[in-house]
Amino acid sequence: MRSWTFLGVLSLLLVESSAFKAHDFKTCSQSGFCRRGRALSARAKEARSSWKSPYSVDASSVAISSDQASFTAGVKSSLYPDITFGLEVRVHDDGVVRVRMDEIGGLKKHYDEAASWALIAEPNISRDIQWKTGKKEVRAVYGDKKDIEVLVEFAPLRVSLLRSGREQIVLNGQGLLHMEHFRNKAAAESKTEEPAAVEGEVANGAEEVQTVIKSENPRAWFEGDSEDAYWEETFSSWTDSKPKGPESLSIDINFPNHGTVYGIPQHATRLALPSTTGDSPTFSDPYRLWNSDVFEYLASSPVSLYGSIPVLHAHSTDTTVGIFDAVASETWIDIGHVSDKSTETHWISESGILDLFLMPGPTPEAIFKQYARLTGTPVLPAAWSLGYHQCRWNYVSSDDVRSVQKRFDEEDMPVDVFWLDIEYSEDHKYFMWNDKTFPDPVEMVNDVAAVGRKMVVIVDPHLKRTSEYPAYQEASKLEVLVKPPSGQGEYEGWCWSGSSSWTDFFNPAAWDWWKSLFKTYPLESGWSWTKSTDAVHIWNDMNEPSVFNGPEISMPRDNIHYGGWEHRDVHNINGMLFSNHTYQAVAERSDPRQRPFVLTRSFYAGSQRFGAMWTGDNLGTWEHMAVGIKMVLSNSIAGMSFAGSDVGGFFGNPEPEMLVRWYQVGAFAPFFRAHAHIDTKRREPYLLDEPYKGIVRDILRLRYTQLPVWYTAFRETTVTGLPILRPQYVMFPKDKNGFDIDDQYYIGSSGLLIKPVTTKDATEATVYIAEDQVSCFTVYYDYFTHHAYRGASKGKEITVPAALHQIPLFVRGGSILPTRERPRRSSTLMKHDPFTLRVALSKTGTAHGELYLDDGETYSHEKGQFIWRQFTAEKTAKKSKALRISSRDLATEKPSEAVDGVALTTFNPANEFAKSIEDIRVEKIVVVGLNGKPSSVRVEGGAELVWEYTPGHAASEKKEGVASLLSIKDPKVLVAKDWDIVVQY
Amino acid sequence: MIPWLLLLPLSSPVLVAAAAVDKTFGVGPDAIAKYTPLKSGNWKCLDGSKEIPWEFVNDDSCDCPDGSDEPGTGACPNTNFYCKNEGHIGLYIPSSRVKDGLCEVECCDGSDERPGVCPNLCKEIGEAYRKKRDEERKIQKTGSKIRSSYITFAHKEKKRLEASIETLTQEIEVKEKEVARLRDIAERTESLSQAALEHKQQSPLYKSLIDHSNALKSLRREHFKHLEREKALGDILTALRTGYNPNYQDMAVLEAVRGWEELAGLPHINDVGKDTTEETTAKEEEEAKEEEGEKEEPEEGMWDAGRLEHGLDVLLNTDYTSLLLEHEEHIQSPSEDSIIYDLTAYLPDSLIPQYEAVKETLVSWLRMLGVIRGEDNTAADSSRAHQALTDAETNLATMKNEKKTAEEDVAEIFDVEGFGAEGEWKKLDGLCLEKNTGDYTYEVCLFEEAKQKPNNGGTTFSLGRFDSWNPSPDVKAGSPEYYSKQVYKHGTRCWNGPERNVVLLLTCGTENALLTIQELEKCEYQFTGTTPALCLPLDGEKGNGNGKKDEL
Repeated sequence: MRSWTFLGVLSLLLVESSAFKAHDFKTCSQSGFCRRGRALSARAKEARSSWKSPYSVDASSVAISSDQASFTAGVKSSLYPDITFGLEVRVHDDGVVRVRMDEIGGLKKHYDEAASWALIAEPNISRDIQWKTGKKEVRAVYGDKKDIEVLVEFAPLRVSLLRSGREQIVLNGQGLLHMEHFRNKAAAESKTEEPAAVEGEVANGAEEVQTVIKSENPRAWFEGDSEDAYWEETFSSWTDSKPKGPESLSIDINFPNHGTVYGIPQHATRLALPSTTGDSPTFSDPYRLWNSDVFEYLASSPVSLYGSIPVLHAHSTDTTVGIFDAVASETWIDIGHVSDKSTETHWISESGILDLFLMPGPTPEAIFKQYARLTGTPVLPAAWSLGYHQCRWNYVSSDDVRSVQKRFDEEDMPVDVFWLDIEYSEDHKYFMWNDKTFPDPVEMVNDVAAVGRKMVVIVDPHLKRTSEYPAYQEASKLEVLVKPPSGQGEYEGWCWSGSSSWTDFFNPAAWDWWKSLFKTYPLESGWSWTKSTDAVHIWNDMNEPSVFNGPEISMPRDNIHYGGWEHRDVHNINGMLFSNHTYQAVAERSDPRQRPFVLTRSFYAGSQRFGAMWTGDNLGTWEHMAVGIKMVLSNSIAGMSFAGSDVGGFFGNPEPEMLVRWYQVGAFAPFFRAHAHIDTKRREPYLLDEPYKGIVRDILRLRYTQLPVWYTAFRETTVTGLPILRPQYVMFPKDKNGFDIDDQYYIGSSGLLIKPVTTKDATEATVYIAEDQVSCFTVYYDYFTHHAYRGASKGKEITVPAALHQIPLFVRGGSILPTRERPRRSSTLMKHDPFTLRVALSKTGTAHGELYLDDGETYSHEKGQFIWRQFTAEKTAKKSKALRISSRDLATEKPSEAVDGVALTTFNPANEFAKSIEDIRVEKIVVVGLNGKPSSVRVEGGAELVWEYTPGHAASEKKEGVASLLSIKDPKVLVAKDWDIVVQY
Repeated sequence: MIPWLLLLPLSSPVLVAAAAVDKTFGVGPDAIAKYTPLKSGNWKCLDGSKEIPWEFVNDDSCDCPDGSDEPGTGACPNTNFYCKNEGHIGLYIPSSRVKDGLCEVECCDGSDERPGVCPNLCKEIGEAYRKKRDEERKIQKTGSKIRSSYITFAHKEKKRLEASIETLTQEIEVKEKEVARLRDIAERTESLSQAALEHKQQSPLYKSLIDHSNALKSLRREHFKHLEREKALGDILTALRTGYNPNYQDMAVLEAVRGWEELAGLPHINDVGKDTTEETTAKEEEEAKEEEGEKEEPEEGMWDAGRLEHGLDVLLNTDYTSLLLEHEEHIQSPSEDSIIYDLTAYLPDSLIPQYEAVKETLVSWLRMLGVIRGEDNTAADSSRAHQALTDAETNLATMKNEKKTAEEDVAEIFDVEGFGAEGEWKKLDGLCLEKNTGDYTYEVCLFEEAKQKPNNGGTTFSLGRFDSWNPSPDVKAGSPEYYSKQVYKHGTRCWNGPERNVVLLLTCGTENALLTIQELEKCEYQFTGTTPALCLPLDGEKGNGNGKKDEL
């Protein structure tokens, strides 16, 4: 009998093994506090205008700090007159408003440290604020034009941010604010009747309200009549003991004048977030933020994935605003569009204080800067990490790695990094090489490094519980492991390594120890990774954390972290701390410090300071290829610029056409890695047949030629926080047609526009060219054919050829792109190569571009060791028939904006790095869209240059077709020096 | 395209300073003649597409669409650079290696880098190369001697097989005659006894026996079905247990594994990974046996499992007709064996017809006299005659089969797609090579089967049976490349995966040995090994092949 039962299980498995396991993860109705939060919202909707928030400011308690920087006030809930909440509102010097609310003198403490992990520093408070206290409100007007206003109304409590009198952000406008105070279980039980909540019984709004009507409970109109999952909660076979009882937080955040919202990654959905409430919502469940290892996730879903960034941008043709909700616990977010001009959101978090940052904008660019000032800009990566990464679960041996490298070299396909997944390690004890398959790890890494390449090796957060594992032994001895709900001993869960424990990176005692593990030389104090070198960088996977036998494939929420906080309080930050400390460890293992590369799967607000992320275990399907782009865009606008998805799809065996298209997608993502599941066939690009192989070789080489563009874009983001990949609405915030576009995007400020093809059998693609309010930029050149496409005053769609070997890639008129066109085996071998400049003229005959270069590996750029050049093309005089193309130093002009980290006061153009590349020249200049055939081309004051002119359309014309092309042969001008080339036509 | 406009000669000192590379730099000896200027002072790109000034050749700026104007600078992609490598072997490297700052071994003279970057190491590298090549040649020489012994073996084997075919042909001829004779006898005896036998077969005992037999056969068939099903389930679950993909993170799978372990008395797999650590298996098995021992004693006379397995076959193969006759004999007074049948065995063929006539008379006499019970013995005779015929026929078939196999073997020995044109692989037919990798011992019996045998107990998996030599359409049957790869296919299917396969990569070596085993992707194994069968004689080598093949 029994064996038949098993057979049943087995057949079930075979059917389901290729699908998202919805039953592993909670829906809102399976989560007590989300159920309560949605029920609250339903009751409010039912009550309509009679609904009034029970929360109000105690006017007598308003206290403005002596420096006018902030004010505090007591807040009461009419439901619980004995409980006091404290409200604090501050305005930062960049106009960001921080709103905090916590319970005062409660039975326990709400988790209040989330912001401290996300913020780079305590923000500076504005000195220009004058709070005006009225009887019913406190307000402050500020901003350069004194057009921004913060208004805190007392009864009921309502906080709003206005610009020019129009409401931008409104808190508690719908009265859904509810901070569940800590209460005593016994007392609570004696007061109420049988808890009515039953697992799976969805709290249907209407029913709840009816219950309310019958109820004697005076608070039922607001809280509902039952203590739904207050003290214990069961999901599947797991029971959450909830020792602190209910402590959830609900708040509505409305954008009365913004119809489109972006952000709150990571979800597999469109960039402009579809609604979850209202009439016929796209998704029935709210967006969820609870870092999760989701097996074979769906390509369109609000289900939470590996990382969480509680940042939302609300956008309209007038203004853009944003909020950052510094919460680390599980959070559900309902989004509804009451009209196409306004948006309502409802945030329901399991624990923690209210700590909201309101970013006033008013442009997407301003939001990025405001958010970057809070949580930091993306770190400048090592230059090699922008190359191509070749990964697979798993390269099975050191000889396997060598032969993969050999094949790349034989095919002359560039690659910078070879990756090792978990099977390099003995019994999944990370750091510990399996010496049967990797007997010579250092020699292997050296063989890879000999061609200027690196290796990335996986280190996951679960430590195998065995006496033979020094990492576990040391962590155990230091008592820095996460504890079970009892708060005693070590939490034990199941992961790759079998029975495992997890380092608690919230514990400062773990930090130095973790760094010590990565040293490549022997330490007296303990174990270190001597079988490693500086060419080994790190991949942090499974850091949600993923626990195979835990609730929702993660840790029990009642596990205990440092400081006695429960796992539920800190869950969404957990993954960031792991990659943060790995990042520090890799940076500091060598002296002088080298820029580390750390890839993380789990992330939180602030993770951009520690490296790259990828979209996790995607599927080899067209849908996943397409949604991967949207996910990367969404992560980018929330700070995680260094992002990408697995080329080829992690699961499955993509057919050659799909693989080629996926390489085209990957080559235009900041992080470009091919990866594959252990069950898949090998699919390294050299294994493809022609013509696919040749196409992929060209794609890889294209990426390498454009590395200077990518690196220059990264410089910008490290200073400004502007994303590397810029969706249409970021580039053209006033063009409504572009708000929903999330399948084409621009790369930094370079002027490159890419529309990756993500459909089978495509021969054409449609690209949207925006209305341009700034200037007459609206000519776009096909990157490869120089075909000129013209925009229209209201924007227009163009159809372009997109056969398998063709990539819809355009240069916006007005751009100058620095590229390096000589194929090499790796990016580090391009260091001596000359540059090519592509000058794509705008309609008015101008162009602009930048180039940033440094040694790509150390932190010497923070000491001024770099070059930052500006290239311009413009008429020598307004009516002249001469184009001057010039190169100027930009760093001397703006030393404080040159690099992230240290704001330089001066810049020395003759620094050591600049000297090291002083003989690197521009070997070719291509000018697209010139008005006519030149009569002379020469370096100013020098001899005539050699050039070739192919007639075609001028930038200033209105006709479409191949543009004119001037190709200047080897002007022998130096890339780090000032020069001028004059084209007479 | 508009040709290059040369408005001014390239005489500016600034411009000339950097470029002063010899125009033939990086050109191989085969193409050097093509690098001369035309009378016009121009030069034609090698693809003929364009004329450029001679000065543009090797000026570190790409002008020709085919890149031929930059043989020495690497300025044009997808071209080649010739390293002279004096003191070693000159060769081409891809342009992507030129001036990349690395000193490649391939370009030991360092000519691909800027002057002063790379030392000329051709002397050392050349020496090391020659030393290595000499060693390889030594191995090849020794190996080729062994190989020629394989060829000799193949020829001997061919002779042996041919001789054996000869003998078999003769024997078959004799045997065929004998079968004919026996068939004749059997037919005669059978016609005599058929009616009597049918009568006897009406016996209730016989009928019941046949019923029992049929029931037993049916039961056994059902039993086998169940055994097969159980084994299949066991295999599935064992494969699940050792091979399930932990990434699915499915607790239902874990439960299935745990349940199976309990049911099958297997130890816990301690790790989620695929590595099986089954140190405790032996102990567990013992325990399992003990448990079995404790089971209820069977009733007296009942068969145990072992006897069932073997005894049942014997029982079911009983010739019930013979048994019926024996039974008759046994029940009747003990009587001598019939001499009538025996006689026929000794009579010359020519006398048999006469004998048969006499026999009938004789038998009727004897029956009248009450010496024999008539049909009884004639029936037994019939059965025996039939048996003799069957035996002889089987024997004949075996011989024919042997002959056929031998003939096929002879054909295969020198088959290009079989044991090689020279038969050099025949010697290795069925030779088993092993490699212990710690957890497993891998075995390949050449031209037969590859296996994975766990060292610490557990199931042995077939990794596939010999399928073909190198199947690549680009590789010519009979070429050394063809024989350097064997494919074994259709091994045990992986759970949720493909059938296991092996690619065996062989190189010349003095021994037949497996060197490495890698599972490059799930259930796709790559074995490497050496064999003297691939060591071609040094003298037989084609002159041009060597230099290229032995690139560093």
